[in-house]
Amino acid sequence: MKIKVIESVLKANDAVAQANRARLDAAGVLALNLMSAPGSGKTTLLEKTIPALVPQRCAVLVGDLQTTRDAERLDGIAAEVVQINTGTGCHLTATQVAAGLTSLDLSGIDYLFIENVGNMVCPAAFDLGEHLRVALLSTPEGSDKVAKYPTLFQPADAILLTKVDLSAILDFRSRKVYEDLSRVNSRAVLLELSAQTGLGMEPWVTWLRQQRCEHAGVAAARRAQPPGRGGGALETEELPRPAHAGPDLSQRGSL
Amino acid sequence: MSIALSLVEQLQRLAAEHQAVRITEVEVRCGVLRQVAPAALELAFTAATAETVAAGANLKVIEEGLVARCRACGTEFATEIDDYSCPTCQQADVEFVAGHDIVLTAVVCETPDR
Repeated sequence: MKIKVIESVLKANDAVAQANRARLDAAGVLALNLMSAPGSGKTTLLEKTIPALVPQRCAVLVGDLQTTRDAERLDGIAAEVVQINTGTGCHLTATQVAAGLTSLDLSGIDYLFIENVGNMVCPAAFDLGEHLRVALLSTPEGSDKVAKYPTLFQPADAILLTKVDLSAILDFRSRKVYEDLSRVNSRAVLLELSAQTGLGMEPWVTWLRQQRCEHAGVAAARRAQPPGRGGGALETEELPRPAHAGPDLSQRGSL
Repeated sequence: MSIALSLVEQLQRLAAEHQAVRITEVEVRCGVLRQVAPAALELAFTAATAETVAAGANLKVIEEGLVARCRACGTEFATEIDDYSCPTCQQADVEFVAGHDIVLTAVVCETPDR
């Protein structure tokens, strides 16, 4: 007997991802999925970003194959941190994130950062229920990574060029990155920063606040009722646009 | 491996729905955007189906090319994984129409009366 079907193999993951998103929306939490190679600076970025967002409250779900080292680094900085060890899994799944969400008190959180497993291929294929995707590319990785791993950068809402304080001692050609991005993703906001020195952190934090404002407005409209806890001040806050933001490539590239 | 495990869950559900005792062939359409190497999926499929109703089944992987739609001007165009520039407006801001999913398309199974 031959059974003809048309059914996405990933639909089970996607269904859980949708449920995660609905749960986050109901709690008024903006969720961001951070994806990049190992060592590109995701944890350091969060160590410096979370204090800059105060009084907004942040939680982190950290994905790694082994150890709780990243969670330990973020303990005391984020309101809540949950380490997810994937064993041999090279990416987070929506089910793992759903399990992580059960450990968090979402009513006390404004931002959820999901620090995906360091990997430039598989994480991009799995919706976790996030609202926004952020891809990091650090200068020591080299300027050819957008062309080599386009599927990571294509769906990103923001692309962060990290460790730019090292660009002077590296043969990093930012122009090559911008040229490749013009073929892969002209929609994303591109920001250059160094979490270590603080260079470029302000536009990043401004972008995050802006996204939360917009998300709070959309979520409130979805609920068709007045905005709830924690969002009132932000919803009326006027914020400047981050530097380097927007699709105009002539604005990109100061390295 | 998680793709193979999801596939096995689907196969077990389909087998139960059709009272199948054994699945002998499975056909999957793989979009190039998913970057799944057919040989790797076959290997993972063999491991994931062990001791299931689909153990020993032949897996056929059909690769599907990428078709994008420009969000800026609406043009639909066939493209490659490393270049999403719209041929009409040159923006690289697309959503995918084809080649972005992994889809189970056909299953051949044995039922008790066969």
